[in-house]
Amino acid sequence: MIFERIRRLRFRSFRLSTKLMITYLLLTVVPISILGAISYYQYRKSIEQQFGEHMPRTLQLANMAIEKRMDEFASLPDLIYSSSEIISILRKEDYGNQSEKLQDEFIVNNYLTRTYINGNNPDIIGVFMATPDRLFASTRMNYAGTEPGQRHFDLGHPLDENGNAKLLFPNELDLRFENGRPYLLLMKQMTDFDNRRSLGTMFLAIRLDFIESVLGELENPEAAEMWVMDREGAIIYHTDQTKIGGTDPRLGEYPVLNGSFKSFTGNEPRVVSVNQSDRYQWVIAHSISSAALTERTDFYRNVTIVVFIVFAIITSVLSVILALNVSRPIKRLSSLMKHVELGNFSVDLKANSRDEIGLLARSFNSMIAKIRELIQQNYYIEIRQKEAELYALQTQINPHFIYNTLETIGMAVEEEETEQVVHMVTVMGRMLRYSLGNDSRLVRIEDEVQHVRDYLVMQKYRFGSRVDFDIALNVDGSRLHTPKFILQPVVENSIKYGLESVQGVRIAVAVNREFGAASGKQDIVFRIRDNGPGIAPDRLAGLLATIRSNSLVHGKSGVGLKNVHARIVMMFGGEYGLQVDSIHGGGTEVIIRIPVIESAESAQELNQGSERHHAINPNDRGG
Amino acid sequence: MARVWLAAVFVVLLTLASACSPTGDYQILYDQDEERSAKERHPDRQYTIAVVPKREGLDYFEAAKDGAFEAAKELGVNVLFRGPETADADAQIRVIEELIEQDIDLLAVSSNDPKKLLPVLKRASDNNIAVITWDSDTDEEGRAFFINMVDPETLGRHLMDTLAWSTGERGKFAIMTGSLSAANLNEWMHWIKVQQQEYYPNMELVEIAANNDSYEEAYASAVRLLESHPDLAGIIGNSSVGPPSAAKAVKEAGKQGEVKVVGLSTPNLMRDALHDGTVQVITLWSPKRLGYLTVALGKNLLDGTLPYDGQFVNKVGNVRVKGDMVIMGEPLDFTKDNVDQYDF
Repeated sequence: MIFERIRRLRFRSFRLSTKLMITYLLLTVVPISILGAISYYQYRKSIEQQFGEHMPRTLQLANMAIEKRMDEFASLPDLIYSSSEIISILRKEDYGNQSEKLQDEFIVNNYLTRTYINGNNPDIIGVFMATPDRLFASTRMNYAGTEPGQRHFDLGHPLDENGNAKLLFPNELDLRFENGRPYLLLMKQMTDFDNRRSLGTMFLAIRLDFIESVLGELENPEAAEMWVMDREGAIIYHTDQTKIGGTDPRLGEYPVLNGSFKSFTGNEPRVVSVNQSDRYQWVIAHSISSAALTERTDFYRNVTIVVFIVFAIITSVLSVILALNVSRPIKRLSSLMKHVELGNFSVDLKANSRDEIGLLARSFNSMIAKIRELIQQNYYIEIRQKEAELYALQTQINPHFIYNTLETIGMAVEEEETEQVVHMVTVMGRMLRYSLGNDSRLVRIEDEVQHVRDYLVMQKYRFGSRVDFDIALNVDGSRLHTPKFILQPVVENSIKYGLESVQGVRIAVAVNREFGAASGKQDIVFRIRDNGPGIAPDRLAGLLATIRSNSLVHGKSGVGLKNVHARIVMMFGGEYGLQVDSIHGGGTEVIIRIPVIESAESAQELNQGSERHHAINPNDRGG
Repeated sequence: MARVWLAAVFVVLLTLASACSPTGDYQILYDQDEERSAKERHPDRQYTIAVVPKREGLDYFEAAKDGAFEAAKELGVNVLFRGPETADADAQIRVIEELIEQDIDLLAVSSNDPKKLLPVLKRASDNNIAVITWDSDTDEEGRAFFINMVDPETLGRHLMDTLAWSTGERGKFAIMTGSLSAANLNEWMHWIKVQQQEYYPNMELVEIAANNDSYEEAYASAVRLLESHPDLAGIIGNSSVGPPSAAKAVKEAGKQGEVKVVGLSTPNLMRDALHDGTVQVITLWSPKRLGYLTVALGKNLLDGTLPYDGQFVNKVGNVRVKGDMVIMGEPLDFTKDNVDQYDF
């Protein structure tokens, strides 16, 4: 379904980099383009508007200039009033004979030539004076066609009642001058002021050079065209010479005749300004394409667009890079996460930056490292615990010990010391039961002490006076608990090294309650002191290092002590454990410090707590 | 939500697009006519202009009336042309009083007396009626301006000259004037005398006869002049009534060519007398033109335009202005050669 696709196209389901890029586009490129486009169009519009207001005024000025010139021309016919001779000829209505008529015609034509053609008005190319039955004419150049007066009287052309000058445009006339010279015909009704009658009509043919000179003064860029047309749209002057005499078919459609408008009729929109002469009715039009008007703006627009595109590209690339910079580490992070998910912790998210991404990467790396470390730690603890248990197991069923004991028992049997044998067997049995007996790792101190006593008793049976011991249990051994098999390895060690000396060994075991500086409370302290050879200081340091080290050391030396220490630390934490003091040649003291464990239950809790504390195993995926 | 946003963006874009694209072929940027039409154009009210001649029934004033009505038709104003039966100031005052009652806008008077008319003209002014004078002036406080047909000095001197040409610069002559109170006639008379004293020592003014612009009175006084001055060389008719009456009297007395007649009158009245040689030269202007000019300048005044020197008045030509006097043009001389060109 379409909705389904739309749903899938929803923003939130996009990838982060896509989102960033879209956001960038929405926040920068799109608003700036819209803003740019709007301001460009508004600016363009205001240029057109300004031009549209300015140009008609200019045209109006031009129109006024032309009108003024026209007015000058329009006043020229009045010159005739100053000649009473001409006026009286014009007043005449009938003639006795032809020669008289021709004589008058000669006089008037002569006058017209003198006054108008040879006057100081080079723009006048012809003058015609028409009365109902006569026509006087004088022209600067040859002409063809019907003289104006004839036609206009024939057609009953409406003359201006008020005697104002009126313009006739060539298209209304059948009169052509040499070279097709464009002209205007100024028509003026002449009045006999005294008799209040019409004298006739004077026509002045005026060439259009003066319009050209007026329009030429206007600032007129190449792209613009200007023309003057009459009220029917006939073009009487055009900057393009070939169009003179044509018509502007659209004049009727123009929405205004004094003002300007934008025309969309041609190939391209044009700004057309028009101004109509009130008196003479012609229309001056100026047309320029919008494009030419806004040419400079368009240039800036193009420059702006290019700059904008360049910037948009640059910033887009930057935003892509930025987006990738953000999203790539995240993508890598997610793929690394997958690896981690599958159990591979040897991953490294490289990030050199110091920003949030770098921070994230570093945090991730350190988190992975931590996890790895914890896993490893847990792993080693597990291993060590197994190993310790294995050792304890080994301790409890040490075949050497059993062999030696049995041999001792055998010897006693040979010597028939029955009582001794019975005692030895009893002790042996008790020891075995302790070793095999209940699985719990914590036992009552009493039992542990009993066990080490049994062990020492057995050793004493074997070595006689060479082994001597003393055990002082100064705490409530039946109530307090301790890990199993922590004393026997120490005592074993003391006997092993002590027997090497000639005079034998004396071992003192004391169990006390003491204040512990490390734990900050009362602890149970086991002290196992011997008068053996002691340990050389350098060896002692090595031994302590071995005991405290985390690494698994295989080999005889110090393994037992290390095992004890490790088990205690594992169960109770670093503030507890085993410590060795020794004077070379003067004996050794081993101090085992454990917390006060009141009951088996609390011991159990402690046990479990410590177990839970380390209970991170690799199969747990960290939910 | 996303669809709502999309729709909103779409609407905005559409609005922008429609703002940028034209609605038709043309889009008006600027309309000057709108601004122009915003400036209020006071509607053309039809004015009523009352033109008062010195008296009715004279050819001269009939011609002026023709001109006034021609102007009324062409300029679109309403013209009342009304004068007294006789060229008498009191009668004229009555006519003016009647006109004041008639909701007129402008009063143009050819005054029979420069002083007597002042109160009634003042009343007209108080009634919001503009007052001008034509043909014959009042004192200047009575009117806005005076439309004179010719420069009085030029005319007066010229009338003297025409008589001097006719009589060979010698002999006795008399002046026939209209009313002794008419300002224009008196001024012309003044210049006639000045011209005679300056240039024509051999000529002598023997009498000034007033006729109140009445043909009967004028004829009677002409007859009397011929009788009481048998050696009279010429008569100057100072008003349009004078020359025809003088010509008639001269003709009847059989003194054609002996007593020269010149002066101011219309060609129509004098045509025959000119042709048969009783009258040598007649001087005048076109009263039609004067009537037309009076109405035209009256309308201009109501429109708020005062005449100015060199102004071209349509169908009248250029006028001159001296102070508050408008001068229509130069005097025309009619002789037997050109009198047929004129029909007033």
